[in-house]
Amino acid sequence: MSPASLLLPSAQECRMTVTVSASGLGLRYGRTHALDDVSLRLGRGVTGLLGPNGAGKTTLLRVLATAVPADEGAFTVLGHDPATARGRQELRRELGYLPQTPGFHPDFTPFEFVDYVAILKELTDRAARHREVRRVLAEAGLDEVRGKRVKKLSGGMRQRVALAAALVGDPGFLVLDEPTVGLDPEQRMRFREVIARAGEDRTVLLSTHQTEDVAMLCHRVLVMAGGRIRFAGTPAELTARAAGRVWSSTGRDPGAKAGWRTGAGTFRNVGDPPEGADLLEPTLEDGYLLTLDGDPAEVTA
Amino acid sequence: MRGVIPALVVPVWRTLPWRTLGAAGAVGLLAVGLPRLSGAHPDPWTALALLRSAALAFALGLAFLLDDPARHTTTPVPTGRAARTALRVALVAPVAALWWTAVLLLAPGAHRPPTGAVTLEAGATCALALAAATVAVHRTDAPRPGRPAATALLATALLAPLVVSDRWVLFVDPRDPRWATAHEHWAWLLAGAVTVGCLTLGEPLGRFRPTADRPT
Amino acid sequence: MTALATETRRTTAPAAPGNPRAAVLALALFEARRLLLRLPVLLALAGYAAWIVWRTLQPWDDYPVLQDADRATQGGPLFVGLAALLGANHAVLRSRRRDTERHLGVLVLSQGHRTAAHALSVVPLALLTAAGVAAQFTWEAFKPGAVGTGSAAELVVGPLTVLLFGVLGVLLGRLAPSAVAAPLLVVVFFLLFVGAAFPFAGEESGAAWFAPVVSAAGTHPFPSGLLGRPAGWHALYLAGLALTAALLAVLLSGARTRTVQAALAAALTLTVLGGVVQTSGVPAATTAARQRASVTPEKDQRCVRRGTADYCAFPEWTPRVGDWARVVRRVQALAGGTAHGRRLLVRQRVEARYGLDGDAALAPSTTPYQVTVGTAWGGNRIPEFSTAVAAVLVAGDEKAAGELCDGRMVTVMWLSLAWQSDPEARLRNVRLDDSLTGSAVVLAPTEPLTMTAGQTEVVRTLLDRPSYGVAARVKAHWTELTSPQVTTARAAEILGVHAKVGADRCAE
Repeated sequence: MSPASLLLPSAQECRMTVTVSASGLGLRYGRTHALDDVSLRLGRGVTGLLGPNGAGKTTLLRVLATAVPADEGAFTVLGHDPATARGRQELRRELGYLPQTPGFHPDFTPFEFVDYVAILKELTDRAARHREVRRVLAEAGLDEVRGKRVKKLSGGMRQRVALAAALVGDPGFLVLDEPTVGLDPEQRMRFREVIARAGEDRTVLLSTHQTEDVAMLCHRVLVMAGGRIRFAGTPAELTARAAGRVWSSTGRDPGAKAGWRTGAGTFRNVGDPPEGADLLEPTLEDGYLLTLDGDPAEVTA
Repeated sequence: MRGVIPALVVPVWRTLPWRTLGAAGAVGLLAVGLPRLSGAHPDPWTALALLRSAALAFALGLAFLLDDPARHTTTPVPTGRAARTALRVALVAPVAALWWTAVLLLAPGAHRPPTGAVTLEAGATCALALAAATVAVHRTDAPRPGRPAATALLATALLAPLVVSDRWVLFVDPRDPRWATAHEHWAWLLAGAVTVGCLTLGEPLGRFRPTADRPT
Repeated sequence: MTALATETRRTTAPAAPGNPRAAVLALALFEARRLLLRLPVLLALAGYAAWIVWRTLQPWDDYPVLQDADRATQGGPLFVGLAALLGANHAVLRSRRRDTERHLGVLVLSQGHRTAAHALSVVPLALLTAAGVAAQFTWEAFKPGAVGTGSAAELVVGPLTVLLFGVLGVLLGRLAPSAVAAPLLVVVFFLLFVGAAFPFAGEESGAAWFAPVVSAAGTHPFPSGLLGRPAGWHALYLAGLALTAALLAVLLSGARTRTVQAALAAALTLTVLGGVVQTSGVPAATTAARQRASVTPEKDQRCVRRGTADYCAFPEWTPRVGDWARVVRRVQALAGGTAHGRRLLVRQRVEARYGLDGDAALAPSTTPYQVTVGTAWGGNRIPEFSTAVAAVLVAGDEKAAGELCDGRMVTVMWLSLAWQSDPEARLRNVRLDDSLTGSAVVLAPTEPLTMTAGQTEVVRTLLDRPSYGVAARVKAHWTELTSPQVTTARAAEILGVHAKVGADRCAE
């Protein structure tokens, strides 16, 4: 899919109300293009951002969260243009951001930390702010530990504190950078619940390595590689890319792009099947793998 | 925006690197206090060197003032970096003033160099430390840019007496006729540091070059 | 095929599994490379190299005395040491700063091993400093004017300081894991050891030796037998201290094995031994030797004959007799009368009774036709010696020369300067206030002489003229020019200088 075709709205995009739109975003670190002419449109709901390590996912999220300005291109969020100081401030009033490596002041309690972020988000009415902080702490499942110091909390708990800090102030645009990394399955389910609820009336963009997260949560999915968007569409469309390209065999198939022995003892192959192969139902991950495989030179860049 | 700063005073006060500042302040106090306690009578030049070292020690602590482990979370918020940095400086300023008063009182009275002039030197050193910190925050997106700022300040402070040319005197003895000229230079340094600090206080809207580790 | 596969596997396998010592060494090399490439260390090394070159190229350093030149290598490495402290501390705190301690903590190599590797990583930097020290000293030793002998114990102080400071950086990282600790320690060390705020700084013996570098340096080099510096014990003390700090850091990292504890005890013993012995003061034998060399130098000296003069010097300085003889020959060649062929005795003297940093002046000799030469040479020492030779030829002895106040001063200064290249610059050099007009004190190896404004003007006029013409007049009128009755005005008249000269000092 060429960048130009990405700019053309798909049938689904025509139906959705665009809340975030970006065109031609570029950013370089030295000679590396972390972002290379990225254009996208997001609407309400949860959008998943998939891609291998170094694809530029975090950089894209940081640019959209105004943590770092782009070298080229422009974008708007909920009508606010961050190219001006005023626009950036308005945008930040609507923003909730969970960074990839959230740091904490270790002597703060979760309540104090989220309260601190709430003040920075200009929630100045003390009583209302505390109500809001208690609400997001409850939503993130931190009720019981809200008086404990952050340095005493486990990694998963800290991740929840960071999520609560992102949710505080009921932002219209949530940017979540690998929110489910390092969580156990139960915690991950809980996160998915919170994120899905947030996505009901807001725009949520989350990056992840977990294709299941995308399959279970997202209305739309973007696939990035080498600083470019390689796919934009629904999870079903991504899955459909693998239709007829997943098959089962008794031994390793030399024609497969990827193949592994499943628990049942047979091999599950993804790629170009031989004649008369025993085709299987594709998953989102198959579609993702085949999308990345489309242009190996760029994928490895 | 109104009401944010008063509400921020307590949490920001708690996020300041007090342990670092305390260690730096303690070293400064010891540098000046130990000779006094031991009953030694340092000559004017040594007394001045002790005061300068005390100021440098505290300034090294100040270089860590803008370290914020939660920086990635606290960056994209409507309350700008300039306001947050200014609040940090404003909160630490009275403490620094108290500390410096204590240092001056500890310095042996007979050989204490002119108070105003050494205070200017100390102020310029601290301003340079803060300027180094704001530049470090401006140039990288690391949550703790204090260490490189402190190292740069330290290297500058140790090398400056060796490198600064005689035509632009800085480190002179109170008995030296160039004392007043040197303090004009210190005032220029202070002004320069404040200017650099103010220029790098805000967040760039446009293109800037982050030098931190590339995010993955 | 199988053999090939085995071969390949073997070369790609880790070097020596189960051998922590090899792993520590490999890690130390890895850390050493990182340490050497850190910006503060690179800056310090560049500054150190520049310092060596700048210092060694100075004209006053053309005639080094090697028992002083060895000590002069100690100051520069202090800066490298401070950089090593910062760098090593930075490296130790890296895993904490980057939060990789949780990961590294479960690896085979324990924290104690890693600390040992960090301490060892300073060794290459210390070796690099040793190379710098060796280069500096060798350069000095190969200068044509070098005399004396250096001491290995003094030469290792620089590298040992670097090692000690670096290891202290490692220890500090284990004691106080804070980013501000190392810069603060650098400030304190700078104040103590570079800024001379060390309580005993400047003393020759006693507690001053607890500092890493004790560079008590006077203006007059001593014969090596009179130094009385406990250099060997000090090197032992520094090495013991570095070892103690390293082992303490390893111990603090959790490696509390018997071996480490025993090694720590041994290192501590070495440190205490070196520390105590080095502070016990100047030995009585050295004090006696200093007394003898100051009062009766002839007992220690060796004499040689060159031309018209005998030269008696401390044995280490006999290679310098040629330089002295050249000056004596040039001055005497300009003199007339009996002075032209006068037998002189040039005696080297040193005032060692007040310690290495004493700067007491030598008393002028009353022995007729004996000229004093000091232990330093090169730069201003050459015209000063020339003045002393001329003054003794004119006045008879140094005591009398110091009291010269009449027209003879013109002859003395002309004899002293006329043979030298750029005599006006030399005149400026020997005058205490570096002036070329007015009255001034003129330096000599013993007591200084005095020139009036009139004498200065006459001498400068003479120096502007071709020296053969002046020399002919000086020789022709030698008896009158060296008579105590001659006034400056008269001397000017004899030498054909028409200038208004004031009254002489003795006429006032």
